[in-house]
Amino acid sequence: MAEARKTRESDAVLLDMRGISKAYPGVQALEEADFAVRRGEIHGLVGKNGAGKSTLMGVLMGIRDADSGSVVMDGQELVDASPQTMLDAGISYVPQHINLLNTLTVAENILVGALPKNRFGLVDWKTTYADSQERLSRLGLRLDVRQLVEGLSVAERTMLAIAKALFNNARLIILDEPTAALSRVDIDLLFGFVRAQQEQGVAFIYISHHLEEVFEICDRVTVMRDGRIVGTREIEDIDVPVLIHMMVGGGVKEYERESTAGAQVAFEVRDLSRRGAYEDVSFALRQGEVVGVSGLQGSGVDELAQGLFGLERMGAGEAFVDGAAYRPDSPRAAFEAGVAYLPQDRHRYGLAPLRSVRENVTYSVLDRLVGRLGVLMRKDEQALTEEYIAKLGIVTPGPEQQTLLLSGGNQQKVVFAKLAATKPKVLILHEPTQGVDVQAKVDIFNIINDLSAQGVAIMIISSEVRELIGLCDRILVMYAGRVTHEFSRAAADMKPEDILLAIEGGAVDADA
Amino acid sequence: MRMPERHDLLEFLSRHFIWVVLAFTVVIFGLTINGYLGLANIANILITGSVLGVMVIGQALCLMARKLDLSAEGTVSLVAVVAAWLMLPYRETDLAQAGGLGVELDPLIVIPFILLLGAFIGFLNGFMIMKLNMNFFIVTLAMQLVLRGLALAISEGAIMPGTPAAFNWLGGGRVAGIPVSVIATIGLYLVFGFVMSRMQFGRKVYAVGANEDAARASGFSPARTVILVYTVSGFLAALAGWMLLGRLETSVPNLGIGLTLNVVAAAVIGGVSLKGGEGSIIGAFAGVLFLAMVNNALNLMNVDPLWVNAVRGLIILVALIIDAQKSRYRGRAAPQASADAQKAAAS
Repeated sequence: MAEARKTRESDAVLLDMRGISKAYPGVQALEEADFAVRRGEIHGLVGKNGAGKSTLMGVLMGIRDADSGSVVMDGQELVDASPQTMLDAGISYVPQHINLLNTLTVAENILVGALPKNRFGLVDWKTTYADSQERLSRLGLRLDVRQLVEGLSVAERTMLAIAKALFNNARLIILDEPTAALSRVDIDLLFGFVRAQQEQGVAFIYISHHLEEVFEICDRVTVMRDGRIVGTREIEDIDVPVLIHMMVGGGVKEYERESTAGAQVAFEVRDLSRRGAYEDVSFALRQGEVVGVSGLQGSGVDELAQGLFGLERMGAGEAFVDGAAYRPDSPRAAFEAGVAYLPQDRHRYGLAPLRSVRENVTYSVLDRLVGRLGVLMRKDEQALTEEYIAKLGIVTPGPEQQTLLLSGGNQQKVVFAKLAATKPKVLILHEPTQGVDVQAKVDIFNIINDLSAQGVAIMIISSEVRELIGLCDRILVMYAGRVTHEFSRAAADMKPEDILLAIEGGAVDADA
Repeated sequence: MRMPERHDLLEFLSRHFIWVVLAFTVVIFGLTINGYLGLANIANILITGSVLGVMVIGQALCLMARKLDLSAEGTVSLVAVVAAWLMLPYRETDLAQAGGLGVELDPLIVIPFILLLGAFIGFLNGFMIMKLNMNFFIVTLAMQLVLRGLALAISEGAIMPGTPAAFNWLGGGRVAGIPVSVIATIGLYLVFGFVMSRMQFGRKVYAVGANEDAARASGFSPARTVILVYTVSGFLAALAGWMLLGRLETSVPNLGIGLTLNVVAAAVIGGVSLKGGEGSIIGAFAGVLFLAMVNNALNLMNVDPLWVNAVRGLIILVALIIDAQKSRYRGRAAPQASADAQKAAAS
């Protein structure tokens, strides 16, 4: 019986990736990953950010070269991988942000590059419309082909992108977070379409952070963690808690911080609301307290961070720093009130890459470094920079090194130094360990520890739940714009599985 | 101490490249052109270079802030026409010559007026770009058209000769045998060299040019900085217009036409990147010297004027190619350098 099932399975295998490894400087992004997809199945691929999903998919799409391993599609090994060979093999990718020609019609998008011509060499519109309409209806997709793509809903665009892939003879389609911007009705529409194509024998790889949807549409699911495949399961053999457990792993905590929380409230937010971003957010941070905030993309965490630092509007509601009303209209106002923010995107908001370490570190405190007539005091500048290079262990040949020549972790420390130099009362850190190596991570944890010991209230916005548990006194979870759960060290309920479940929007059993 | 790496050497060369080129140029022209290094010719180079030099400072500031000011040459022509128009006696316009408005204002009133006018034009540019979110290229290009149009309309397309001596002092006067324009230009380079390297304003300009979003997140106001940069650029263009008119003593419609490309070229040759955030005032100065020397040599060698533009264009293109390669090379050097730094720290 088992024997029979095995042969059936091997016949059914469409894609077989074996022993895929890929290293970047300082990071093993993929380690001996085995991944297989059957004909006509919808295969979920889940894992935290940085688990290796995108690298694995990059190899499959031919945009990343694997260091080792093989990719077999339909019994044929694909060597010399390039985006074109992968497309020719029938592998297609539909990204989260759909790439179509928005200002052209649906028909033009379908037939682009091969528009039918009449005998004068002009586009034969009649045939164009008839042809594309006919193609779409063969897939059971009801769209007006004369409509401009920019007028389509996100779900319709996704379906159109899938249709285009199918017209190019795709047999395996990678869907990357297709539902992130969809309403329930649109999700049903999209899922219906995907299932219909599945019945025609098309296979899908479905990448999502929304686990409920994985259970709704997938036949099997593969979990990745730290560059490895944790396992592949039939969907009926598994449930959400088990899946989350596979995603999080059972390893020891990397870091355990002693609490330094004081009694006095340093930062308080009351009923903060901004339309389309967050609603009725209230919390308080005590001096020296470290509080984590976690949520999916679109849960409002990112917007909250930017709003609290004056990069975007804060919205309705109140905020207080050390009891004084706080409503920043610019980052400058935030600095002056004692609030500093470490941006998630350090290349966009953190660094002036062409400028030196010295200049970057002192940007936030130039006002304190000017003498008469706006002349900068070079000695003070130098001393301050050297102080922070030593304090934060920034690895650089010297203060005059261009920051673009530093490693990711050291660039991050330069941004930290810039913030710490303002002597903030409240520090908001947005994914502080993203894209930094292990050593720099530990250094950054130590910096957080030192600052909190000095009484700085620290809010860490992060999707690295395990790191948050090691660092934070409390963890708030946001879902759909609201703070839905609070976990705390005091209540001893900071369990990774529960927190991840809350992040996914699930209800957490109080005495679980 | 680690050995100087390849990228350090290249970085050093690219930063000081212009000085090497300049030295070569002096030697080659000095050896091949008779009288090139004579006092009279050197003075000539410096005098013609000074108008260019003043404008390059303003343009360099704009480039450092990752912007561009295409309107500056329009400001030159407008302030020259306005100054002549306000100072010269009234006269019926005939075929080639026009007179002033007839108010015959004193140069001491006219000079501050045109400088303020230039600053105001620059302010308008900056305001539209930063507050109304308009594209700097188009804004300053359109502004140039407006200014040139105004200059032509006011002068009725005719020359206005005979500006007063007091006005001409900056462009044509000499102190102890040294041209005032040269002294003024060198003075301005010293001032702005200091401002850009040692003062808060300079730091902010580089920060905004290197990364506007990060500058804002560091507590700066990019809008305020950029508006000030354009105001300074307009002011300096007006000063250049005053200097040029003083040297010619005659307002010519279309004064300064085609200057913009030379100005941008001098700055870029001097190491001020079109991609913003870097370069120095002293480097820009070297760029000005280089361009002034080449222009002068082309003159002395009696190169057919019809060919001169082709040669200049070629020089500008080469400068732009070097600028573009610099950032491409950087993209490759960065990971290597960070790996080196890690290694150095580990050992």
